[in-house]
Amino acid sequence: MFKPTLECLNADVTTWEIGPYYSALPGPMKLKLRLDGEIIISGQVETGFLHRGLEKAFELNSWNSSIIYADHLDSEGAVFGELAVCLAAEEIAGISPPPRAQAIRLILSELTRISCHLNYAVKIGRAVGSETFTHYVLRDREKLLDLFELLTGARFSLSFLRFGGVKADVTEGFIERVIETCDLLRVRLKEYNDLLTFNQVFLKRTSGVGQISKEQVMRWGITGPNARASGVSFDIRKTHPYSEFEKVDFHVPVSNSKGTHGGDAHDRFLIRLLEIEQSLEMLKVFADKIPSGPFLETKSGSDFKVPRGEGWIRIESSRGFLGCYLMSDGGLSPSRVQFRTPTSSNLLVIPEVVVGLKIEDLPLVLASLDLNIAEADR
Amino acid sequence: MKISVFSGIVKYFQDVYQGFRSVMNSYSAALPYVLGMGELRKEVTEQYPDPISSKTPDDLPPRSRGILFNDIERCTGCRECKQVCPSRAIEIETEIRPDTNQVWVSTFNIDMAKCVLCGLCVDACLPNSLVHTRQYIQSAYNLSELMMSFGKGPITPKQRVNWEIARRIKENDEVLI
Amino acid sequence: MNLESISTISWISLMQDQLGTSSWRIALFGLSLIYGLIILPTGAVMSYLERKLRADFHARIGPSRAGHAGIFQPLADTLKLLQKEKYSRSTWTEMLWIGFYTMAFYSIVAVMPLGSIALLVNTDMSAFLPFWAALVLAFGTMVFGLSQDSVPGWFGGVRVAAQALAGAFPAIVAILCVGLQAGGFSWSSMAAVQGASPFSWTVANPFELIAFFAFVGGGMILLGIPPLDTGLSMPDIHGGVISSLYGKRYSLFRFSRFYGFFLWSVIAVTMFLGAWILPFGLSEILRLQERFILLGSLELLWILLKTVLLMLVVSSVAQVVPRGRVDHVTDFSWKVLSPFSLLALIGYTVWIGLRTFL
Repeated sequence: MFKPTLECLNADVTTWEIGPYYSALPGPMKLKLRLDGEIIISGQVETGFLHRGLEKAFELNSWNSSIIYADHLDSEGAVFGELAVCLAAEEIAGISPPPRAQAIRLILSELTRISCHLNYAVKIGRAVGSETFTHYVLRDREKLLDLFELLTGARFSLSFLRFGGVKADVTEGFIERVIETCDLLRVRLKEYNDLLTFNQVFLKRTSGVGQISKEQVMRWGITGPNARASGVSFDIRKTHPYSEFEKVDFHVPVSNSKGTHGGDAHDRFLIRLLEIEQSLEMLKVFADKIPSGPFLETKSGSDFKVPRGEGWIRIESSRGFLGCYLMSDGGLSPSRVQFRTPTSSNLLVIPEVVVGLKIEDLPLVLASLDLNIAEADR
Repeated sequence: MKISVFSGIVKYFQDVYQGFRSVMNSYSAALPYVLGMGELRKEVTEQYPDPISSKTPDDLPPRSRGILFNDIERCTGCRECKQVCPSRAIEIETEIRPDTNQVWVSTFNIDMAKCVLCGLCVDACLPNSLVHTRQYIQSAYNLSELMMSFGKGPITPKQRVNWEIARRIKENDEVLI
Repeated sequence: MNLESISTISWISLMQDQLGTSSWRIALFGLSLIYGLIILPTGAVMSYLERKLRADFHARIGPSRAGHAGIFQPLADTLKLLQKEKYSRSTWTEMLWIGFYTMAFYSIVAVMPLGSIALLVNTDMSAFLPFWAALVLAFGTMVFGLSQDSVPGWFGGVRVAAQALAGAFPAIVAILCVGLQAGGFSWSSMAAVQGASPFSWTVANPFELIAFFAFVGGGMILLGIPPLDTGLSMPDIHGGVISSLYGKRYSLFRFSRFYGFFLWSVIAVTMFLGAWILPFGLSEILRLQERFILLGSLELLWILLKTVLLMLVVSSVAQVVPRGRVDHVTDFSWKVLSPFSLLALIGYTVWIGLRTFL
């Protein structure tokens, strides 16, 4: 217990250890801060509180269960984990899903990206104290979750992709509802911009706060919208296309602000809103044109095996570069799965970005980095 | 670079005006919600459970993965679901019925506390007896209430006697015929 | 309108003639009545209305279970809060800040302008007395914040002090501005220069309009009203003075926040928005007919209605604007509100000078 009168009148540097449970943090993690008055001098991160042994669990269960475990890598964007494992297994087995399955996977992938970015907006709204914005965004995310339920049967942990395709065909009325939702979201995006994005108070809170320079991005390996907000143009859907992204015409927003405010929290927020817009464009063009045909290459029974081999696949999840390494020895379960998650490298920049911040900016900056501790700790 | 006094003052007033205007902008973006103008701005609260305004289990999409149900008459006890379950939530015990040599599923327990509603067992079920219902309410006061038992129970000696009697009657009928 | 036509008959002297007891007993009784019958119910009504307004902004329904359309929600909340226990024993610092709050509450009730009849204290410095209450509230909150044993509490306490200093300055200058127009700082003189229609309110003058914004803004900063409430808002790391409060202490704190807001709004309505002057000249009619009780109740209701409307408008700004950081808030006060309030003061002085000498 601190002695209040002594410590609070002390004009020296204070140490404050936050965590593992704290409302300002994105998940269970410890943050040791040294504060000089209100300014943070240094910060140290300690993670590992949410380690569940996910990668080991893959090795103890059958191949079919790998999809389910991959679902739980990132609870908000379940499709990305499933897609990574499926693509890696398909690379080892040398099968490629039929065109209809690829199209369905692409639609799911983009819908999940929109849903994750909306969740990010909710976190930022809560950190800044604008509850109205938070409620509007959550209401619109419900429409996307309803879409997921219509197609797959569940809202978050989809368990829809299978090795060689998808589990089932699109339901009746799904495509129409996708197009309807995209139109609605476009109207809502404009409303969000009116309400929060260019509000002067919000600009003051987020401009110039938590800046990440290009050189820091390169050094720590930050990927995804965080990197694109600092001006580094790197999107795996363009550089190493997968799942027929090369056939879709889209544009990746990159921030090009060269002033002193590049790569700040406002840029990261704006980039994600622009990405939502791009995904809506993609869906609108693509949803009508799903090729017909089978949706699954082969039906996998309970003794489905992936032949001996190794596979390494990269995809662009909503947070950045998600990589999956899969090693199989021809048995009934994978012999090693390892994920390279975007949050594990985004976390590394926290000690540098936190220096010089005021203590009140800390929740905002941590929320703006879009961290998911479940993904980092696995 | 020193900013001249005049442009400093102009910038100051511009900043104040910008701030005022952006607050008014946010206000006018949110005000229609208070006045309830338009279809897009209705209230989205759904009261639950009383009164239920929507999302009863029948309103859910047909593919919704709710609590599991096994039609025990069609179940063949093949144990495909038990092998594929990632949470090891299914327990099966079978016996052979002496008169027809069919499988009698005496124990079929699904521990819903462990089940993640992934649907692999429903996919794997060969006779299609295991299905997802659309019920989603699983709250209970004890963990033991979450164990769903569909099995027929072990074969009792009385049942064996009855089956033996039925077999003899059938044999006698066949002999007579 | 001149001062003589508005006569403020103090109800204390009226009742003293009738009842014959000493004036302090009557004053005590009157104060308790005002507190119990006016402030507490207004607090309850205001909390319900604010929650409904917030729900309207959020596209939600809001409280709808306790009674028809949720009318008894404030009662339910109060009962729930009063049942919670505190987990630590009282320390001397807690007693200190509770003492400050109590002092602030019970003394300033006497100064509130609640109509020309219910006016207890109508001195020449009435307009400045509520400042004392607001500053004491801020001081008490600072002591409370510094008495916590957590880092956010200390930060919250210091921030409250910084905000209080920053917010007091434009508010005082705005009061000076109104005093210029009214020719004095007593409530009756401020009410005397206003009429019933909005065009004869104080804010009809452009300089006084600027002073009005400076007064309301300064008050929000001084008392910590969202969205300028960095030191007192809920989330811990944002400065949370109140992060370890719950139960009876929490309800005391929340009530003090409401009380400060209410006090400030009543003063703002009195100074700027037409005070208690009833429309259609009812004030003069009733005064001539010597029906003082009816006059007093109508004026009270009228000023309470205007106050509640002003509070709703200010709290609706909180719903759409995000919270500022503490140095943005104090910057806003020192760099925007203070120059504008001084501009209003100087401008109004020049206006009066031009009108007098030309």
